[in-house]
Amino acid sequence: MAKQLAFYVDINKCSGCKACQVACKDKSSLPVGVRWRRVFQYEGGEWIDQSGQMIPSNVYAYSVSSACMHCAKPICMDVCPTSAISKRDDGIVLINADMCIGCRYCSWACPYGAPQFNEELSVMTKCDMCHDLVDMGERPACVEACPYRAMDFGALDELQAKHGTFADPAPLPDPSITEPAVVYTPNKVTKSSRNANGRLMNLEEL
Amino acid sequence: MNTREWALLAFTILGQTAAGLMIVLMIVRAYLAGKAGNEVADRLTNRPLFMVVPIMALALLASLFHLGSPLNIVRAVPNIASSWLSREVVLAVTFLVFAALYTYLQWRKAGGEGFRVVIGWITVIIAAVYIYAIGMVYMIVTQPSWNTLATPVTLIAGSLLIGVLGMAAGLAVGYAGLKGEEMKAISTALQGLALSAIVLLGIEFIVLPIYMGYLATQGGAALQSLTMMVGPYGAVFFFRLLVLFVGAGVLAAYLYRNASVAEKEKTLTTLAYSAFALALLGEVLGRFIFYATHYRIGI
Repeated sequence: MAKQLAFYVDINKCSGCKACQVACKDKSSLPVGVRWRRVFQYEGGEWIDQSGQMIPSNVYAYSVSSACMHCAKPICMDVCPTSAISKRDDGIVLINADMCIGCRYCSWACPYGAPQFNEELSVMTKCDMCHDLVDMGERPACVEACPYRAMDFGALDELQAKHGTFADPAPLPDPSITEPAVVYTPNKVTKSSRNANGRLMNLEEL
Repeated sequence: MNTREWALLAFTILGQTAAGLMIVLMIVRAYLAGKAGNEVADRLTNRPLFMVVPIMALALLASLFHLGSPLNIVRAVPNIASSWLSREVVLAVTFLVFAALYTYLQWRKAGGEGFRVVIGWITVIIAAVYIYAIGMVYMIVTQPSWNTLATPVTLIAGSLLIGVLGMAAGLAVGYAGLKGEEMKAISTALQGLALSAIVLLGIEFIVLPIYMGYLATQGGAALQSLTMMVGPYGAVFFFRLLVLFVGAGVLAAYLYRNASVAEKEKTLTTLAYSAFALALLGEVLGRFIFYATHYRIGI
């Protein structure tokens, strides 16, 4: 079996510019409302009023770029009633549009919001890791587009050897649910799913 | 809720109505056959039986409106190995086929008494597994307000409640003109159905506060669901409880009292139909809240 492929994101370098999201939409010609890659702005802390002067208390903000995690335990694949979702030898999880009946059950199950309904095609769609490019030896569009070089792509074990195994930045869910094939480098304020005390911002952009 | 979600609501409600009715029907039929003979049992239970297949057919028709690409269902390979949704659909279709077979046999008096009873009970077993499967569809680890024991328990209790009161309505209609043993058998059956309704209502009313307490302690998405149930959907939530209490409690108690009184056919029919309608409405409102207040964990 080939090595499990994975995405890598360095939260230190990410400015939340959404170039990856736009590159993804462009490469895969996604309609309005379908965003295979999304960038979550996560903020926490508060401002305390001390006799008219506002003092910041543990205020933080960071961005998390996320797409389909091509999980080791893909819950979408388990629940799909028609076996339209499959996992390739290299770990890429794909939806076969010819077999999808558009029941959206996978979108109820996936904690990363990866499977999204395409109204034009009437089927579920999601990040395919640009497998057409990958099969030609190239890298996914999102990774190539990042102006900060905050993203990388490759074999999961190699990325983990280089960057560690952290896969749990809030607001992402507990990775033990689906074992996502992803590595993040946290910055100094990054929370995990266990101590998430912030909130998502600019929800209209998600 | 949009059209697709209403289709889903119709599929589950109609499906559990047909399956619940089938289960209760066979139990009542066995009782009546023991008390008053097969001929009487068939005559009294055939009317509600003829409702099962049309209701189940409607359920499957409604399910298609939930799908983005319903035509693909022909090409689809069911994933019964791991998907409860796949199992639910396969069981729904199997139940329809067996219910249709049993109905045909009963209608034509074909295949002999013993064979018909066997087919009937096989249909009941499929119906029971089907109801269980409907509940298991929602046992998704990332949906905390669904992923509790309360989901299958409430679904089974709700299905039987609709079945019990639907059967009571079906029996009450056939009550007129009966005498002696037949009349006694049917009135005892009605009393049993009314009592069962009250017990099932009790189960639902015990499970609900435990379930809500559980959601409250879980925090996160579970707490968000609970907040929606008692907040924006609070009016629907309490109206549902009222409807269930009046239908399966108050009206069922009156049904019990009037079942043994002669010359009460009209009252009985009205009571049974009203109780059935309210139980059905309660289940619809419950399912509406179920779909409207679920929150998936994650992003």
